[in-house]
Amino acid sequence: MDQAVGDLKQALPCVPETPSIHVEVHQRSGSTAKKEDIKLSVRKLLNRHNIVFGDYTWTEFDDPFLTRNVQSVSIVDTELKVKDPQPIDLSVCTIALHIFHLNEDGPTSENLEEETENIIAANHWVLPAAEFHGLWDSLVYDVEVKSHLLDYVMTALLFSDRNVDSNLITWNRVVLLHGPPGTGKTSLCRALAQKLTIRLSSRYRYGQLVEINSHSLFSKWFSESGKLVTKMFQKIQDLIDDKDALVFVLIDEVESLTASRNACRAGTEPSDAIRVVNAVLTQIDQIKRHSNVVILTTSNITERIDVAFVDRADIRQYIGPPSAAAIFKIYLSCLEELMKRQIIYPRQQLLTLRELEMIGFIENNVSKLSLLLSEISRKSEGLSGRVLRKLPFLAHALYIQAPTVTIEGFLQALSLAVDKQFEEREKLSSCD
Amino acid sequence: EVAMAAPEPEVRSLTAAPGLEWYEEAEDTHAPHIELLDTTAAQELPSRSESFRPRHGLVPVVFPGPVSQDGCCQFTCEFLKHVMYQRLQLPLPYEQLKHFYRQSSPQAEDMVKKKPWAITEASSRKCQQTLEELESVLSHLESLFARTLVPRVLILLGGSVLNPKEFYELDLSRLAPSNVDQRVSTAACLRLIFRAIFMADAFSELQAPPLMGTIVMAQGHRDCGEDWFRPKLNYRVPIRGHKLTVTLSCGRPSIPVTAWEDYIWFQAPVTLKGFHE
Repeated sequence: MDQAVGDLKQALPCVPETPSIHVEVHQRSGSTAKKEDIKLSVRKLLNRHNIVFGDYTWTEFDDPFLTRNVQSVSIVDTELKVKDPQPIDLSVCTIALHIFHLNEDGPTSENLEEETENIIAANHWVLPAAEFHGLWDSLVYDVEVKSHLLDYVMTALLFSDRNVDSNLITWNRVVLLHGPPGTGKTSLCRALAQKLTIRLSSRYRYGQLVEINSHSLFSKWFSESGKLVTKMFQKIQDLIDDKDALVFVLIDEVESLTASRNACRAGTEPSDAIRVVNAVLTQIDQIKRHSNVVILTTSNITERIDVAFVDRADIRQYIGPPSAAAIFKIYLSCLEELMKRQIIYPRQQLLTLRELEMIGFIENNVSKLSLLLSEISRKSEGLSGRVLRKLPFLAHALYIQAPTVTIEGFLQALSLAVDKQFEEREKLSSCD
Repeated sequence: EVAMAAPEPEVRSLTAAPGLEWYEEAEDTHAPHIELLDTTAAQELPSRSESFRPRHGLVPVVFPGPVSQDGCCQFTCEFLKHVMYQRLQLPLPYEQLKHFYRQSSPQAEDMVKKKPWAITEASSRKCQQTLEELESVLSHLESLFARTLVPRVLILLGGSVLNPKEFYELDLSRLAPSNVDQRVSTAACLRLIFRAIFMADAFSELQAPPLMGTIVMAQGHRDCGEDWFRPKLNYRVPIRGHKLTVTLSCGRPSIPVTAWEDYIWFQAPVTLKGFHE
């Protein structure tokens, strides 16, 4: 029987499996060149480099047209699914070119109240924003969190775009990221919005990111019940009505909104609060029907979130503290930056974890520093991404305080800073 | 100056003409459920949604003949100054502000005391900054107009460039390229424009706004080599927000729309911040 099925499979025509490669082209802010012209030149560039090794970025070009108009050409996200960089034969891949301009305007704030009171209820970015450039790459996770999220949302948007009947197949565009504080949930939401805007730039003219400040929203709107929630979402609705725009609504720390409903049921909070929460949930239901909306939410504590909300989110992803391997990557990127800025001097080549593995972690002149770094990474396990990105600064401030330092000196300081971090943690927990 | 006198009878006939009217188009793109929310909101929140309904006003102005490119630049600059004053981003008309500001410099301190509009130090500083920014935009508009034909100009107030609270459009695309011999004087055209705006009563109905950022955008040729204004290749004129369009034409066949294909939007890299006294 199985044999028969296998034969059948072979007989059926199947879709040829050509891997698709995404190439992001960052057009210079002053460039007025047509997309088609840029595409043409970039294709020529890619034709000259048939085999690349993993993600790669060009910033210097032989072609004067590219030099004039393009900041960078990057082969991206090939390393999201495979652990190590693989040689990629561009000639057999489907290449998707995404050309984008960064918006340098910065956020605008949405003030809902009359002008006398300046409570910012939401920040609003036009994407792709200069502020979020590079954010996606700075986020390091072990499991395929980034590619999962990207794939989920791409599929959801495809389904909406093709008008798949949601009575037959249920799906929505509500994402919930949960996990301990400092693991980069909010950053990941922003980076995801930016990434999707670039990926879908041929479909949507621009992206809009509306970041609702749920604290201010709640305390402010307390007495006025759900009315102002409605007003807030009406503004978002205005953005959604522009079908050329892909709208991301980010509700940070959603538990502060939804937890109160539980408290309310327990009788510890006035009934007004329940109306606010209900209004938010209803409004989310209203806007999520539109095909060009993605609702991104984050939460520090999953248990406390309202079931009514958790059910609304199709895509739930746990974001945990980074593992030693991820920490190694984070540290490596920090050291790279400090060497680039010549705070660590002279520059030294560090090996990646994969390269260390390949030489079997044998200590020699080349691997000595990298092994030390891997040691520090293992020691740092348990610290959150936010703390990790702060540690190089603390190391310098506490133990170095000189304009330049050798890499050996810096790693020593970093090691001390990690120890200190754990000491402080101990003190804090013993206070409890 | 002969040309100056000529348009006067034209003006009278124009103001009487039925073509020159102020009409409104209610926006009906709302989804039904939103309208429902609107009415409930209006009952309870009598502020904005009622008195500041977004709408689209159109003021057509017809010149008796073609105008110079230089003239187009002046229309734009004067329109910008006018909008900023009318929308209370400037406490006085630009020229007066400049005049008072100059007078408030130390050499002329005696004179300023006699003026009804006393300038405190803080507002003087704000005034100076506003004037400097505005002057810079005006001068760069001049060089942009010298580089390229400018079919359209947008003045955006509040919010972001994609979602402004209100915006003003100057449509210059219907002005035929000028023939050097028979131009209408710029001053006469300016009078026509402002008379039309006045007759249309375009500003009196609006609610007094708070201070907002003002952003100027202009269309220019892709290859004009402009380097102060930033190109915005993906930009599209907003659909929402209060809008007033002033269209200029000169009663001659205009440039076909296809000719504008290579014209893209440029955004002034400064946001003009107005000030109150």
